[in-house]
Amino acid sequence: MPINALILLMMLVLISAAFYVGRSRALRSSGRGSVSLHSLPNYHGYFVALWTGVPALLLMAAMAVFGPSISESVIEMRLNQAAAPLAADLDAQLAGDSLIQSAQRTLDSSADVNAATQARAAIQSRRTAIADSIADTARESGASGLALAGFEYANLPPERRGLFINDARALAFNGQPSEITPAIEATASAFRPVDRIVRFGGAVLAILLAMAGLAWSRSRVKAGFRARNRVEAAFMGFLMFCSGIAILTTIGIVASLLFESLRFFEAINWRLDQFLFGTQWSPQTAIRAEQVGQTGAFGAVPLFAGTFMITIIAILVAGPIGLFAAIYLSEYAGKRTRKIVKPVMEILAGIPTVVYGFFALLTVGPAIRAAAQFVGFESAVTQSALSAGLVMGVMIIPFVSSLSDDVINAVPQTLRDGAYAMGATKSETVKQVILPAALPGIVGAFLLAVSRAVGETMIVVMAAGQGANLTANPLESVTTITVQIVMLLTGDQEFDSAKTLSAFALGLVLFIFTLALNVIALRVVQRYREKYE
Amino acid sequence: MADSGTRSSTVYHDAAKTLQGKITLDGVNVYYGPKQAIHDVSMVIPDRSVTAFIGPSGCGKSTILRTINRMNETIDIARTEGSIRIDGDEVNSKAVDPVILRARVGMVFQKPNPFPNSIYDNVAYGPRIHGLASGKRDLDAIVETSLKKAGLWDEVADRLDQPGTGLSGGQQQRLVIARAIAVSPEVILMDEPCSALDPIATAKIEELIDELRENYCIVIVTHSMAQAARVSQMTAFFHMGDLVEYGPTEDIFTNPHEPRTQDYITGRFG
Amino acid sequence: MNNRTDIQAAVEARLAKRYRAEGRFRMFGILAIMAAISVLILLIGSIASQSIPAFRVNELTLPVTLEAARVDPAGDGSEASLRRGSYNSLLQEALRAEFPEIEDRGQLRELFGLYTPLNSARLQNQVLANPGLVGQTIDFTFPISDDADLYLQGLTTASSEAAPGLVATPSGTSGEVRVFANSNVFSPIVADIRERLATQAEELEDRARRYENRAASAAGEEARISLTREAEQARTQSASLRSLAEPGSLSVDMSPELPSRLIRMNGGIVHIDRISDSGRTAEGRVLVALDNTEAGDDWTIWTLDTPQAERRITDAQIAWAETLRERGRVETGFNTYLFTNADSREPELAGVLGAVIGSALTMLVTMFLAVPIGVATAVYLEEFAPKNRLTGFIEVNINNLAAVPSIVFGLLGLAVFISLFGLPRSAPLVGGMVLALMTLPTVIISSRAALKAVPPSIREAALGVGASRLQTVVHHVLPLAAPGILTGSIIGLAQAMGETAPLLMIGMVAFVADAPSLSVGGLTEPATVMPVQIFLWSDGAERAFEPRTAAAILVLLALMIVFNAVAVFLRRRFERRW
Ligand SMILES: Nc1ncnc2c1ncn2[C@@H]1O[C@H](COP(=O)(O)OP(=O)(O)OP(=O)(O)O)[C@@H](O)[C@H]1O
Ligand SMILES: [Mg+2]
Repeated sequence: MPINALILLMMLVLISAAFYVGRSRALRSSGRGSVSLHSLPNYHGYFVALWTGVPALLLMAAMAVFGPSISESVIEMRLNQAAAPLAADLDAQLAGDSLIQSAQRTLDSSADVNAATQARAAIQSRRTAIADSIADTARESGASGLALAGFEYANLPPERRGLFINDARALAFNGQPSEITPAIEATASAFRPVDRIVRFGGAVLAILLAMAGLAWSRSRVKAGFRARNRVEAAFMGFLMFCSGIAILTTIGIVASLLFESLRFFEAINWRLDQFLFGTQWSPQTAIRAEQVGQTGAFGAVPLFAGTFMITIIAILVAGPIGLFAAIYLSEYAGKRTRKIVKPVMEILAGIPTVVYGFFALLTVGPAIRAAAQFVGFESAVTQSALSAGLVMGVMIIPFVSSLSDDVINAVPQTLRDGAYAMGATKSETVKQVILPAALPGIVGAFLLAVSRAVGETMIVVMAAGQGANLTANPLESVTTITVQIVMLLTGDQEFDSAKTLSAFALGLVLFIFTLALNVIALRVVQRYREKYE
Repeated sequence: MADSGTRSSTVYHDAAKTLQGKITLDGVNVYYGPKQAIHDVSMVIPDRSVTAFIGPSGCGKSTILRTINRMNETIDIARTEGSIRIDGDEVNSKAVDPVILRARVGMVFQKPNPFPNSIYDNVAYGPRIHGLASGKRDLDAIVETSLKKAGLWDEVADRLDQPGTGLSGGQQQRLVIARAIAVSPEVILMDEPCSALDPIATAKIEELIDELRENYCIVIVTHSMAQAARVSQMTAFFHMGDLVEYGPTEDIFTNPHEPRTQDYITGRFG
Repeated sequence: MNNRTDIQAAVEARLAKRYRAEGRFRMFGILAIMAAISVLILLIGSIASQSIPAFRVNELTLPVTLEAARVDPAGDGSEASLRRGSYNSLLQEALRAEFPEIEDRGQLRELFGLYTPLNSARLQNQVLANPGLVGQTIDFTFPISDDADLYLQGLTTASSEAAPGLVATPSGTSGEVRVFANSNVFSPIVADIRERLATQAEELEDRARRYENRAASAAGEEARISLTREAEQARTQSASLRSLAEPGSLSVDMSPELPSRLIRMNGGIVHIDRISDSGRTAEGRVLVALDNTEAGDDWTIWTLDTPQAERRITDAQIAWAETLRERGRVETGFNTYLFTNADSREPELAGVLGAVIGSALTMLVTMFLAVPIGVATAVYLEEFAPKNRLTGFIEVNINNLAAVPSIVFGLLGLAVFISLFGLPRSAPLVGGMVLALMTLPTVIISSRAALKAVPPSIREAALGVGASRLQTVVHHVLPLAAPGILTGSIIGLAQAMGETAPLLMIGMVAFVADAPSLSVGGLTEPATVMPVQIFLWSDGAERAFEPRTAAAILVLLALMIVFNAVAVFLRRRFERRW
């Protein structure tokens, strides 16, 4: 870190120096030739500073992000290099080994699953034994630590290699490795110089780049030079780039979800029908059975049903409460009440969802269970669709109420006047004139609230349970799309299994659904606005 | 302003002679928050005739109109003082329910404001909420007569179930008038009912007003001198919250007492 | 109905009904608001009340002798040597010195269950910080185990003591003893036990009857058999309970399923295991040694209502904890561990500091990414962008991004930042980047609103004196819009601070026992953030995590209130109307 800090400091110095260089050169060139400058001297300064700083800083950022992976791949290369003789030896011995050859023959010829598994195990253990003996002889004959480490590394199963490198890195830089073996120690000591070179190299390159930028841009500063336009163009470029990030984000979301989902669909043999309409969700068993596609363990209907039920409950709570609150606040309440009550209700939207989850788990859930048991439902559980739905309903009250409030306020006063002038009471005006007029907007508000509820995660993770029950009983625990995404992607996971990939397919469903709801809702609200403008 | 006391005692001298008084305003003051919008207005508005309120923008015409059916109450900061009587019944007293009052006093606004439902429902609205029809047939009859009285029946008879907002501006305004007269009010207040309409639609409304005069006490706010002269029997001129002059329309237009009235009518300010 | 008086009458006739409907409607509105607000109050109130125990902690203070031979095995006082010292055995000895009468190994294990060995690391650190302590005896203070803490806070079981006022004599001062009373003082206990056994038996019989009924009406053969078996089991259980409850046997055994009874006499504590049927003799094990075997009437029967089987702390541990408190070894104080420690597997040592630092680092990244990018986007779209397809698409895109569920951003982070770019998992850097993308739409939308609110006259004035468009924006428009932009950004950041789901996706759920360093390097170390910490604790098996979760929530809410208060303050202070 200190070296980075040092480089950063040097960059700062360079950049400010560049500014003064540009500025003073501009001043001098105008002073000498009595040609007036096109741009203010400061702009020349900015111009030079930009050329000095931006490329170098970009390089530094890239090094910060990709430096570790560069040094890792260098290390990997060196490990492979050092272990090459040993690996060649291993290959030769493997090819010549009769045991392995016979096992391989069984594997190729036999259709029997058990025999194949046995053969595979035999090959594996034999291979390990040979590798061990090679390593032992090499150690005795005084092979370098790095070679041994490389050999060990090469023989690790692919999923453990990352951990090996991480441990070595941790050991090299005062971290906490999960284990320390001679191989890891050897790798760690190889790590340090490589890392230093990568860092120093990056730093030196950055400084050189900065100097080059300074020199080149300085040479361009002349009286007639349009520095301001250049600087402004750079600035505009920056602004446009920033605007592009929103699009990049969307592209990133769509691409990553689509890409991983396609891989998932491939893993289930393109049985999309089973994913969308299957009623059995048990991704864990799918892994064990090794038959992802056939078992139909990825039927997402229980998740859709759970999501649907919780959303319905939430809307049943938030809809009436939010709408009535909005009506009261916009039509009945005085200014003072409105000024106090509105922000208080908004607090409900500001409370983090984990807090709601905790509330549902420890207060609402047990209360519902007690009540249900009191009424006679002995089997009631704490984590139920009802408790998650109720609490989520509370969370989205402010969405419904503030969106409805906007919509109701957009109903023109003349309509209200018309109704009052006919002798309508307030409630009659609201029910017969304002609500019908505001209906599209209110529908839009509800749709937005639904989209919110569908995508909500923490409340359901904590309060709805995890059982993929296909049930219509709100007192049972259900699971939702978001819960399953969390379940599949937290804890131990291998990134490429169908199980983890299925989370992305669920994410895609979620994304498409909420996006569609949102687009429709915004359309509806927009239409409605236009009508009264 | 100093002469407002003497003036208000002289303004309605001729009115009482030929016409019977319907609405009596006595020392009415209206405030919006700290700001006084109407200063001590007293007048008698005759029944079965059209009374026009004229005056420059912001002088308080709408305000005084809205005191008559207590529409000002819908504005939080508005406050009314003084006495307003319809047929001798005090309007402003606590005992009077604004709902009942507004069933007696209909109102038509500057911008046509049909409710966002069908033509039929628009006209039936008042009778429904007030429970004036004893059945579907009764309600149909009320809707039909009201639309006929408003001169709209022939144009909409075959599309009563279509949205009222789909009519033209002039039709909408007549629809709103039909809606107002469906509850058989005694008084109809009109706040610039023609300002959003073209001349042909305006002519139709004016015709309508002239017909309605036979049965109702009509008060109309207008910015058009010509319209006031055409439709009204009585005219009141307001200026900066004061009732400057009030009398038979003919007198006001041909022989105004007050220089300010003279100036306004002849277009020298306003 | 053309007559006006008729109409008047008709209107008046309906009026009362209409006003009732009006009242009802209004009432619904009020009820809705009250419902929302009362849930809010319930939410905050329940969390606040649940958090109370977390703010107190019971700490043990014991004299620990730091014998040189055991603390400094190499004898050179070097750090390496000090690190190899056996500190936990020192703590064990210190605790054992309080109860020298305990010999049994099982009981010793129970005794050492009163604190977590993790405390030895703290002792070690203390010694490392001050090697001069070696050889001295110091007073070492450390938190008692979470279960003992809950007990001492009165949250585990109700307990009561009654003094019978009659003379009783113990048969010994330690080990298995009998206590003889000169009258049947223990009879009420016997009666109580019998009564409880009888009610339990009745409940079982009830259940048996229910099963039998269901078996009679059961559809399948299999179901009938299993139900009948259940019923039989319940019947045999109840029969055995009834025989236990039967009077006439020589003695009655206490069981862990029943409330525990202890006797305090002569400065010690005896756990009752058996009572003679006469109610005059109690047998049991000495938990805290008695001073002597003298007879006396100054003794009490101590009842712990919650049966031992239903709590995690044993009777013996309760007796010791209580004795330590009586001896002044345990004191209740403010729980500073909650604020100065990072996460721990042991609730009594767990704190939020690590998560607070993690949140701070994450929010810094979010802020440095989301605010500049968001403001730049807003400026571009509002001030410079031509109104064409592309910018229209960007606008729609931003509005839709605002409604994308946060968990989807987590998936994006996992797929792109971690898998594709190879950035470290669980790191504040990645967390901050994900949250920045999520917050971006909020910042953009509020910044655009703030820019829109700046009247065009300002721009015209600046352009009129010959400023370029960029200069106009930078010199005039942005400063005027700054308060609005700032307010929106802070609100967006506050939202991001409470976000959990996307961070779960990028692995910020890891258990992190060390607070990350508040530095650039900390950005890539594994860390957790406040909401995730709350999520993790709410899942904790130990009951003591429950109040700590609530306390952590209060800390998070306090942080968010500070954020929002700043936003409100800025808005009030700089609000300008044109
Ligand atoms: N809701 C209100 N709040 C505050 N002041 C008001 C309100 N309505 C009207 N005023 C003020 O009361 C005065 C009279 O307004 P009013 O609407 O009665 O004028 P008007 O004669 O109808 O004007 P116009 O011909 O433009 O309709 C004006 O100065 C106006 O600013
Ligand atoms: Mg007006």
